[in-house]
Amino acid sequence: MTGLAVDDAAWASAWRRRAPGDKLLLCGGLVVTALVLPAWPGSALVGVVAVALAVGPARVPARTFLRATRWPAAFIVVGALTAVVEVGSGGPGWAPDAAARSGSLAGHALAGSAAVLLLATTTPMSDLLPALRRARVPDAVVEVASVVYRLLFVLLGSLHTIREAQTARMGYSSVRRSYRSSGALAAAVLTRSWDRARRMQEGLAGRGMETGLRVLPEVLPSSRAFLTGSVVALAAIVATSAVVA
Amino acid sequence: MHIAEGFLPAGHAAGWTIAAAPFVVHGARAVVKEVRENPESTLLLGAAGAFTFVLSAIKLPSVTGSSSHPTGTGPGAILFRPPVMALLGTVVLLFQALLLAHGGLTTLGANAFAFAVVGPWAGYGAYRLTRAAGGGLMPAVFAGVALADLATYVTTSLQLALAFPDAESGLAGALLKFLGVFAVTQIPLAVGEGLLGVLLFRVLTVNARPELERLGVLEPAPLVTTGGAA
Repeated sequence: MTGLAVDDAAWASAWRRRAPGDKLLLCGGLVVTALVLPAWPGSALVGVVAVALAVGPARVPARTFLRATRWPAAFIVVGALTAVVEVGSGGPGWAPDAAARSGSLAGHALAGSAAVLLLATTTPMSDLLPALRRARVPDAVVEVASVVYRLLFVLLGSLHTIREAQTARMGYSSVRRSYRSSGALAAAVLTRSWDRARRMQEGLAGRGMETGLRVLPEVLPSSRAFLTGSVVALAAIVATSAVVA
Repeated sequence: MHIAEGFLPAGHAAGWTIAAAPFVVHGARAVVKEVRENPESTLLLGAAGAFTFVLSAIKLPSVTGSSSHPTGTGPGAILFRPPVMALLGTVVLLFQALLLAHGGLTTLGANAFAFAVVGPWAGYGAYRLTRAAGGGLMPAVFAGVALADLATYVTTSLQLALAFPDAESGLAGALLKFLGVFAVTQIPLAVGEGLLGVLLFRVLTVNARPELERLGVLEPAPLVTTGGAA
């Protein structure tokens, strides 16, 4: 357990051993399809396929998937409603095609979010970072991103422990105390991150690390059947959308 | 406040990605140069990125009775400078999209432009101006951190207004709409994040003074000569 529900789901997913490139092709295709096809039926089909694949063959807990969509859903609802309000001389009012426009906007966004979430809940970040190196992102940048990924769980652990201790000491019993505790919490996490980085550096330097944190990437074999299925599914969504539209 | 996946039309998503790219590439070059000259910086930069991510997990009390999350780029811009934050902020956004489902992949460029480019530069500019005008460290930190948050929110509203202009009042009306809707949470959050920044730096000046001196936030303390026994 890492403490982040999406990351935990990715490590436990039935698709964890599938090649990241295969999943990137499928999810990237779904993201693009959700964006460029009409919301009905294109984006709706993308959303259904993404959710069905996640809770079906990928065995992502439906509860985790649904909970993860809360934040994007809140933004999508507020944003889609705001976009269809017109500000005229007579004050604000709904646009004539408000329902269709907000529905289309929400459809694109919810389907795209579901497709990204399918990738996020089936592929741990440590599988995706080597793909950045293959995309010719400089090694130094990939290494910094790898350290961010490894350290953030340590820091999140520290954050929760310190906050628990502060709460037990009534550190969040008023707004004033909450701000003071939050400031102390942020400072403690920052100094701990520096300290942790310095100690890691000293440990690695003692082991002869000078040029980078090179590790052997885990090679997960690509599946021709999975790739074929992905292309067929994407083509079917496009074809259905074209026929219905 | 990140724009969700699929919310921007394809042309806008591509346009903001192109707009953010030079800043992120510049940041990547700064990081590559720093790591080449000082290999140990990899870990410190990684720690800075992880801190920015974790800072967004700290809940601040909000006027609406619930709680909000700081953006975390203001303190980062003051401590590590905006070019580095352009890259670290983009990495943090990618992680937020794939670990928290905040933001998205096609909207990564738009979010990076607001969160990792405009926010840090505006915040750092306010911080430097306040220091140059004779303001102390804490007023400068408050101005820098609060403005970084505000600038991010204004830029995001502008991005949404450009994508969805009002049929009658055009871009200006749409901008007012989005600014007004998100102001309810974002303005109190900017003030709250400014206060958090002050409290953070107040603790750091006591507990981490050598690090702040090394990062150029504080002047090195003058050596005090003590009169020894002759």
